[in-house]
Amino acid sequence: MSPATPPKSPFLATLMDLPKNVWRSIFRNPLPSNDLERSATSFTNFFLHIHPVKVHKHSLRPTYTFGLGLMSFFLFVILIVTGILLMFYYVPSTTQAYDRMLDLRGTVAFGTLLRNMHRWSAHGMVAVVFLHLCRVFLTGSYKKPREFNWVVGVILFLLTLFMSFTGYLLPWDQLAFWAITVGTAIAGYAPIVGKDMQFLLMGGTSVGQEALLRFYVLHVAVLPAILTLMIAIHFWRIRKDGGLSRPDDADPKPSLEAMENAVAPKASVPEPKKVYGFQGLVRGPLTKVGQVPDNTVFSWPNLFLAELFTFVVTLSAILVLSLLFNAPLEEPVNALHPPNPAKAPWYFLGLQEMVSYSAFWGGIGVPTIFVLLLLAAPYLDRGPKGVGKWFSRDRLLANTIFITFVVANIIFVIIGTFFRGANWAFVTPW
Amino acid sequence: MAVNLKRSSGGDSDKGKTSRRRMLGWLTGAGLVGSAGLSAVSNFVFIRPRATYGQPQRFSVGKPEDYPSGTRAVLASRGICIIREGARLAAISTTCTHLGCTVGAADTGFACPCHGSRFDQDGNVTGGPAPRPLPWFQVTLAPNGEIEVDKDIEITPGSYLTL
Repeated sequence: MSPATPPKSPFLATLMDLPKNVWRSIFRNPLPSNDLERSATSFTNFFLHIHPVKVHKHSLRPTYTFGLGLMSFFLFVILIVTGILLMFYYVPSTTQAYDRMLDLRGTVAFGTLLRNMHRWSAHGMVAVVFLHLCRVFLTGSYKKPREFNWVVGVILFLLTLFMSFTGYLLPWDQLAFWAITVGTAIAGYAPIVGKDMQFLLMGGTSVGQEALLRFYVLHVAVLPAILTLMIAIHFWRIRKDGGLSRPDDADPKPSLEAMENAVAPKASVPEPKKVYGFQGLVRGPLTKVGQVPDNTVFSWPNLFLAELFTFVVTLSAILVLSLLFNAPLEEPVNALHPPNPAKAPWYFLGLQEMVSYSAFWGGIGVPTIFVLLLLAAPYLDRGPKGVGKWFSRDRLLANTIFITFVVANIIFVIIGTFFRGANWAFVTPW
Repeated sequence: MAVNLKRSSGGDSDKGKTSRRRMLGWLTGAGLVGSAGLSAVSNFVFIRPRATYGQPQRFSVGKPEDYPSGTRAVLASRGICIIREGARLAAISTTCTHLGCTVGAADTGFACPCHGSRFDQDGNVTGGPAPRPLPWFQVTLAPNGEIEVDKDIEITPGSYLTL
């Protein structure tokens, strides 16, 4: 930009520089071209500051994580965006809800697509969160120091299930009505508080307008708020627990020479009234910078590109599914006649199959035991070995028990899906 | 933190002072935790409805002549099945005792489409996960000659209203 006339008015110059100055006031750094600027990305950008400046190479291996945790998060983001859009047209009323579903199909621009995306993302989130849980277990990543983050993760899995359950009631079709009926009845089997819980959930003694409103509030306000908070804690703990888990041999031991050169802050014996510097807070006895072999790479661009890739794959998959398959909508509610057989979505069919043997054991007892076992896993399985490797031989017993539970549930889901016909009688699908 | 420092440096002369401070600390903590607990409980008090809206539990289902002998009429909107055998009449619930689905009439009695509970003609469990037989409701003949069913009053299965 070289104006032809040399004398410039200061005002004109200010005006000419205005776009540049606005831009620089928002983005304080240029696109990184050296390591210093690459470090600055995580320090100066609000959206990137959750990331470490450098990330371990092992954490970037696609076959270690399969990006499942990120996918869960991105699906949650898609669900929030599509969910908020759907809220513009939805009314939680027993007389209007179903018509609004038909409106979404018939008159609302992109209505069908948005509902499809919301539905398939929800199904996807249940599946991916579960696979993520499997990944973390089968790589032994719940072990010390990540015990608490595993607990948060299990809670997130349960919240995901509650979200999906409260969600599929909202269209107020046959599935919705009978799912609330059965779901709240299962809650009623819980010891001591069961009947009160059932009454609170239904807002009365039978399933109707009050129940729909309650599940709507849970679905669009209460549960998303809790879920968001728990996700924040989950992410924060990843950083504080030292990044993703990795095997011991991912970092070669520092040589003796390096150990001698290392500075050991005298923080190991806590004295009263001592003023601690930041080094006293750093875990481990040595200042490691420059002393140990470095197996990390800069997050910019390595981690960020991987995340972008995962996001694009996730969104594309949901878009393709939503363009190909329409979200089902059953008949409008008929409180007099349940469909026969009345089946829950696939991920609850294992539960439904179990409930068909015993309401208490199938709906309350066994799931509670399973959840308690999951929560307690890192506190029962204290062996330090086998962290950071899929199906490690050191963890044969724990992995076998876990896989047995998973396979049992999958078998129940398959029986519920394919082998149950009218009146929940056993049928063969062929 | 401050309390700890004080305690570690303080001697016996400070004992009374420290324990008073500790007690105040305890009281403050108990007050805060108690308030939080009460707030949480009051939320549940708030969302627990005091009045509920629903169908009346006591209703008329028509004249005895509407149900000739041998009738097994499911009144879906009322959630009951009226049985008439000769001069005897009864009302059996059609709400499954398992998880609250509506059972349908089957050849052998009642069958539930949700989890496969099966009941015989009198509502006794013959299969599936149902923990209890289908309840029987009190049936009376009102002065105007109509049959009145009260779903709030369960009676012993097998006890009929004799017309």
